[in-house]
Amino acid sequence: MSNSEAHKNPSATHGPITSPGKSPDEIDHAIEEEHAHDHHGGTMQYMAVFVALCFLTTMSFLTYSSYWPWRDEPQVGWAFMMAVSCTKALLVVLFFMHVLWEANWKYVLTIPAAMMAIFLTIMLVPDIGLRNRMVSQERALHMARGSDVLLLEKAADADSSGEVDKHEHE
Amino acid sequence: MNATAASIGHDSHDHHGPVLQYQPGLPLSRGKLIMWLFLSTEIMFFAALLGSYVVLRFGAAVWPKPHHVHLSEPIGAFNTFVLICSSVTVVLALEAAKANKRSLAKTWMLVTLVLGSLFLGVKAYEYSSKFDHGIYPWAPRGRIYERPDLYYGSAVRARLSDPVILEKMKELDGQEESELSDAEIIGRRRLKQVRDMVNNPDQQAFDLAVVADQIMPLPAEGADSHGHGGGLNDTFAWLQLPAVIPGGNMWASTYFFLTGFHAIHVIVGLIVFGILLLYQLGPQTAGMIENAGLYWHFVDLVWIFLFPLLYLF
Repeated sequence: MSNSEAHKNPSATHGPITSPGKSPDEIDHAIEEEHAHDHHGGTMQYMAVFVALCFLTTMSFLTYSSYWPWRDEPQVGWAFMMAVSCTKALLVVLFFMHVLWEANWKYVLTIPAAMMAIFLTIMLVPDIGLRNRMVSQERALHMARGSDVLLLEKAADADSSGEVDKHEHE
Repeated sequence: MNATAASIGHDSHDHHGPVLQYQPGLPLSRGKLIMWLFLSTEIMFFAALLGSYVVLRFGAAVWPKPHHVHLSEPIGAFNTFVLICSSVTVVLALEAAKANKRSLAKTWMLVTLVLGSLFLGVKAYEYSSKFDHGIYPWAPRGRIYERPDLYYGSAVRARLSDPVILEKMKELDGQEESELSDAEIIGRRRLKQVRDMVNNPDQQAFDLAVVADQIMPLPAEGADSHGHGGGLNDTFAWLQLPAVIPGGNMWASTYFFLTGFHAIHVIVGLIVFGILLLYQLGPQTAGMIENAGLYWHFVDLVWIFLFPLLYLF
């Protein structure tokens, strides 16, 4: 609860027992009704967010289209798409999930979870992310390599140029 | 808190005993608090899945391109649009319920349910296009090999010497050209060539790449999700020969794991909306709609990251 709210609500400053006779359900209802009278959101605002989300989806789809100028440098596209995705996620969380209008408890729940998520990913890097730096012969024998893709592409080229059929008639 | 309440009850010499009261520690209802706690565990759950995917993907020596594994970017973008629309309809349902417009709230809720089902339908269509090409999330039925090597060659040989397949091939060989379509005539010639190549003891490494290309070529960019370059597996659906997609097995594991868990969440959301539709959606149920909406927005949020990571990277 923000400070200003706490001052407006005198009950919050007088220790734990402040609203005599109210059951948990009554208090829940009171909170929900209070929320119901909040004037955040509004249909126009939601529609504006919706339009922004559609626009951003089109933007990330742009990297797939032939108009995208950095097709030879995929990293540019990846960074761009992640930026677009984070913006979309932020819009959904702030407006649709009403986090913009929530009190400070939102940080207690979201920041530790987000940190945990980031550490979890980082901790996977040494064992999983770098697993191909040092591999056993057994694994190297069976795993796909870039050369396999090239070999398949070469086979496809040979097929489309008719060399394979020639090979058959020989 | 109970101890304090009890002691104060004593001090006031209340003859009816202590009156225990409830004071929320946070300015939100219990339902919403529990939903947010649940969502914070969900953040960690999906972040772990997505994080593992990113680490596996960028640590892999080879990762298939989306079109190599029959993923269609336009279909993914369409599904993103469907989920965004459903997120909007949930907030509109909530607003309508708060304003006591019950039938409007119900309509928006119904639209959400339809959009969620549409998302699942599209997902099912996408899954079927993977299954058609022998890409399964589990090993015994998966027909994907990592590279066109000797192991692959022997797997093709084993399949071709299956009695059922031998019988079918004999039948095919016995048919007149007039009975077959053009694709089948070419397919029959190529199948013969593949049989010769896998059985040839002097085969070159390149021969097996040609075999793999004849059986299921890697689709070109821009092909539709059921698209293929006219491989033998497509011409003769009964053949079901092993195919080569470099990096395809790890891709299949992560793809089905991520989208599968997301789809389970969508299904749970749809069940919740189905239950909500049984209620009168007015100000009394606004709290329930809000909590269901929070969950649904989270499901949308996960897809917002899944779409570019799976379809566009």
